[in-house]
Amino acid sequence: MVEITDKPLDYAALVERTRHNNAGAVCAFLGTVREMTGGRRTTALDYEAYPEMALKKMAELEDEARRRWPIIEAVIAHRVGRLDLGEISVVVVVSCPHRKEAFEACRWLMDTFKEVVPIWKRENWADGRVEWVHPGLPT
Amino acid sequence: MTPTPHPIAAIVPAAGESRRMGRPKPLLEFEGRPLIARVVSALLEGGARPVVVVSPPGDSPEGPPIARAAAEAGAAVLTPKTRPAEMRDSVEMAIEELKQLDSPPAAVALAPADGPGLDGALVVRLLNAWRENPERIVIPTAGGRRGHPVVIPWRFMNEIPSLPAGVGINALMAERAEDIIEIDVADEARIADLDTPEDLQRLRTGEGRQARTVRLFAVARERVGRSEITVELPEGATVADLRAALAEQFPPLAPIAARVMIAVDSEYADDAAVAPPGASLAVIPPVSGG
Repeated sequence: MVEITDKPLDYAALVERTRHNNAGAVCAFLGTVREMTGGRRTTALDYEAYPEMALKKMAELEDEARRRWPIIEAVIAHRVGRLDLGEISVVVVVSCPHRKEAFEACRWLMDTFKEVVPIWKRENWADGRVEWVHPGLPT
Repeated sequence: MTPTPHPIAAIVPAAGESRRMGRPKPLLEFEGRPLIARVVSALLEGGARPVVVVSPPGDSPEGPPIARAAAEAGAAVLTPKTRPAEMRDSVEMAIEELKQLDSPPAAVALAPADGPGLDGALVVRLLNAWRENPERIVIPTAGGRRGHPVVIPWRFMNEIPSLPAGVGINALMAERAEDIIEIDVADEARIADLDTPEDLQRLRTGEGRQARTVRLFAVARERVGRSEITVELPEGATVADLRAALAEQFPPLAPIAARVMIAVDSEYADDAAVAPPGASLAVIPPVSGG
């Protein structure tokens, strides 16, 4: 299941929907808004998505993960809009028969998500500056 | 005779090799006259003085005929000894020439030598728009796309020689984005320039190129100030053509056009991929979700 929403992510409900009697392992990752980055202070993050393509890429990631690991249920959910410090931007949950494949699948999903899904964040620094995060792009 | 308030000069860089056209673009004829002569006449009719044309070097086959056509139309022609490497070099040469005048111009209209649709009325309109906004850069647009000529205050022209090496005049436009005002001229044929012989053929036959909608995100959206733009592409255009068109038609995208991904129908596409008619196109800066 993949989702993009501008509402707070209910991680407990998302974890709950992956639980299953055949799953001996549920692995969840939460991405949350961090205050300090290399000595600079963040006050909030803005997330923007290309929704049609992002949902398509997220569904492709789920399909590929299901090919690689014996996944019972998977959730990939990302929030967009303004997020305050500590709020949850992304939730990835995987349930599998055993912990090793659950850990591996969850990590692969999150790592690959950050490379291919067209979602962007903009830092709102405490000094008032705003800055899109675009690795490798000249500012 | 009273001096014209705010004298505005014009610079027409015409020194480049036009490899893609097969023959020199400034000498292509449209409605019976070489393009260079049409451009010079339009600028003069519109009130620009002087009109400085930088021709190819005299020992190149196209140099003397371009210089002659420009001079006959009333331009002051500069002929470099060797071919300038970039358009910017030609412009800098013309700036040096304008500095020698008793009083330098208040602004410069910068026009390519291959704008087949340019006419005196349009030049009048753009120069007047600049006179009303003498601190600003005036750029004509049609359908959201920028064209030529652009009218640039003399003090900004003086910044061109000190731009970093290797960047073009588009860098000035990107740096001065806040000083730009766009004048909507409605008819894009009047402000377009030529890229291929087919362009001229289309113009002669009245066929347009394809206007394609492209979605912008994140820094690309912010640079342009809109989430959707209309880009003019030739038929059968590839992703590489789209990148070039983005940089040319939307100068704020020029610094990033080569380093973003392009999505065709929600799929990352490489430069050789064709962007078929009806496909949804999007500029994807490096992603940073999570």
